[in-house]
Amino acid sequence: MTARRSTRRTFLKTVAAAAAAGPFVSTPARAQGFTWKRFQGKELFLLLTKHPFIEVLEKHIPEFESLSGMKVKWETLPEIQARQKMTVEMTANSGGIDAFFTSLHVEKKRFWKAGWYHPLNKFLDDKSLTSPEFDWNDFTPGAKAGVTQPDGSISALAAFVDANVFFYRKDLFGPKGLTPPKTLADLEPLVQKLHAPPSTYGIVLRGLKNANATQYPTILFPMGGTYLKDGKAVLDSKEQVAALDLYTKLLRQYAPPGVVNFNWYECSASFMQGQVAIYMDGVNFASQFEDAAKSKVVGKIGYAVLPSGPGGHFSPIYITGMAVNAQSRNKEAAYLFTQWATSKPNMVHELMAGVGVGRTSTWDNPEVKAKPKMPADWYQAYQASLKIGRQGLPEIVGVTEYRDIIGVAIQKAIEGAPPAQVLAQAQKDFQDLLNRTEN
Amino acid sequence: MLTRWAHRHAQWLFPAPAVLLVAVLIVYPIAYTGWMSFHEWSASSLSPPRFVGAANYTKILVGDARFREAVGRTIYFTLVAVAAETLLGVAMALLFNREFWGRGLLRTLAILPMVATPTAIALVFVMMYHPTLGVANYVLSVVGLAPFRWTYSSQTALYALALVDIWQWTPLIMLIALAGLASLPREPYEAARLDGASPLQAFWHITLPLLRPALVVAILFRAIDALKTFDIIFVMTQGGPANASETINILLFNQAFSYFNMGYAASMAVALFALVMGASLLLIKVRRSTTW
Repeated sequence: MTARRSTRRTFLKTVAAAAAAGPFVSTPARAQGFTWKRFQGKELFLLLTKHPFIEVLEKHIPEFESLSGMKVKWETLPEIQARQKMTVEMTANSGGIDAFFTSLHVEKKRFWKAGWYHPLNKFLDDKSLTSPEFDWNDFTPGAKAGVTQPDGSISALAAFVDANVFFYRKDLFGPKGLTPPKTLADLEPLVQKLHAPPSTYGIVLRGLKNANATQYPTILFPMGGTYLKDGKAVLDSKEQVAALDLYTKLLRQYAPPGVVNFNWYECSASFMQGQVAIYMDGVNFASQFEDAAKSKVVGKIGYAVLPSGPGGHFSPIYITGMAVNAQSRNKEAAYLFTQWATSKPNMVHELMAGVGVGRTSTWDNPEVKAKPKMPADWYQAYQASLKIGRQGLPEIVGVTEYRDIIGVAIQKAIEGAPPAQVLAQAQKDFQDLLNRTEN
Repeated sequence: MLTRWAHRHAQWLFPAPAVLLVAVLIVYPIAYTGWMSFHEWSASSLSPPRFVGAANYTKILVGDARFREAVGRTIYFTLVAVAAETLLGVAMALLFNREFWGRGLLRTLAILPMVATPTAIALVFVMMYHPTLGVANYVLSVVGLAPFRWTYSSQTALYALALVDIWQWTPLIMLIALAGLASLPREPYEAARLDGASPLQAFWHITLPLLRPALVVAILFRAIDALKTFDIIFVMTQGGPANASETINILLFNQAFSYFNMGYAASMAVALFALVMGASLLLIKVRRSTTW
């Protein structure tokens, strides 16, 4: 075992362990012990998405190349363009993409039904293909559920797990003796106390349709609402009405003007400009808040778990994963890459760069604890949120269409339409969608 | 032998590569879209397209309120944008048709918006339109006006988008009108002056009628483009708030690449094609006729 180019001790350990396991462990599969070099000389092509996880991953791909002896080429596109390219490539049956980064919260059932994910169950069980270090059970239950289909097939390996958390301005809370809310009932009174426009607005949440659908469950879930009951749409339940009422009332009364068309970009911009006291969104935006080049509120942000409610305590989570293309001609080699990208050493790189992952061991890793990039309460809030994680969107084929349906309802309610009325329409449209696509 | 055969069939042989290219690149996609519009398909590789007859078209024509609203919006957006562009464009052309100091420089500056990439412009306007952080509301506050919601309200979004289109494409109408003005004969004006016509009368009875062919071409170009506007809307509002700025193109993009209703999207593409074609034919007819 020579050192080659790789400088990562951790990888060497993995490789050494794999090499050592071959000759000495007396198992039936001995002749086919795991080795990263199995597909030496092959070339892989990846379709990746612009994403913080990928930014970190790209820097380390050369390490995979020296570890495996394979050549890796890839293309990184914005999410929507990547999905378009994927659609074109898959319908043309080109087989050109070996592995791809997949936003499971949008694509999971659609791509599965279209037959685009290669099921990984057999690969995971195959000791000659899966490194003994990999440890499937190290993934959090939410992460495992997120990549597993109704028929039990595993469509991807969980890479990035996003959780919604509660961001707040410590410098505004402190002097008034305020603390993050424990329950939904505390939320509005708290926002009211902080609301002092035009210098400070009480709260900001996404208003733009489709985008808002991932933040809506921060209120909907604790309120006790769900999307489906026995496969039927339940967008018109009384919990839904209460949740939409609160969500849109907060935005109408205490948010910056124009919030109805705010995507995360506008929300985080007004938060970073110091215009807003409270913001609930994906935990990964925090790395921007703590970046002095972009943010005026560096060091002033507190991080907390979302408030609970009559329906329980949840954090909506969104999972992206690395998947093997069912049309690839190098599926096993692509699986090696997928496995490497979600391996323990790689997840440590990610978390050290402030990108949250779904592996339990990573959060307890001494390297991460020794050199924290983010404030301590960020790690606490994130880890606690993963424990109460629930898939933030309905797991259906027409996720995007659902997001537009509820998104329009939210926007109409922000602009003053009665929640019960817009939800009645949304319920009808959503049930139509389910009738068309879920069978 | 071969050369003689080739010689005899040269009139077919020589254009064949070009015809083939056109067939592959233009005819095939159109035919495929037409074929797809009679099917239902969710871009799945497991289940092939399913023939549904004219169901997609029935849905467009009678079933889908969202599509009807999108059609109305598309036409309204086009009317607002192109009307403003024509008025401003002709006014600017008349201005630049006069001799004055610095004309060349100003004219060059005036056509700059046209050269910029729509997506880049859209991103800049998103920032300018931001209700609390944007420069647009800052300018309004400086001159003492109340802040405006721009693309951040369903009442104003479509107009705010039309403003971007107007800002970018007025120069095109100006350029074409300017070229038209440069080619006008001097004699009718001299005759009009002798007859005692006012400058306004000269403009109305001489300039405009003579300019008409050029103007109709300019309007035709702009109308076709405005009906198909996609990039600025997609970047700035994605069709929102609610569906307040969702045009046919945005809706059909959503149907195809967000909802994966390929067949239904194809039928919308055909409908949009018919709309653009109809508008073009109408304008061409206007150009040929003798009265306005």
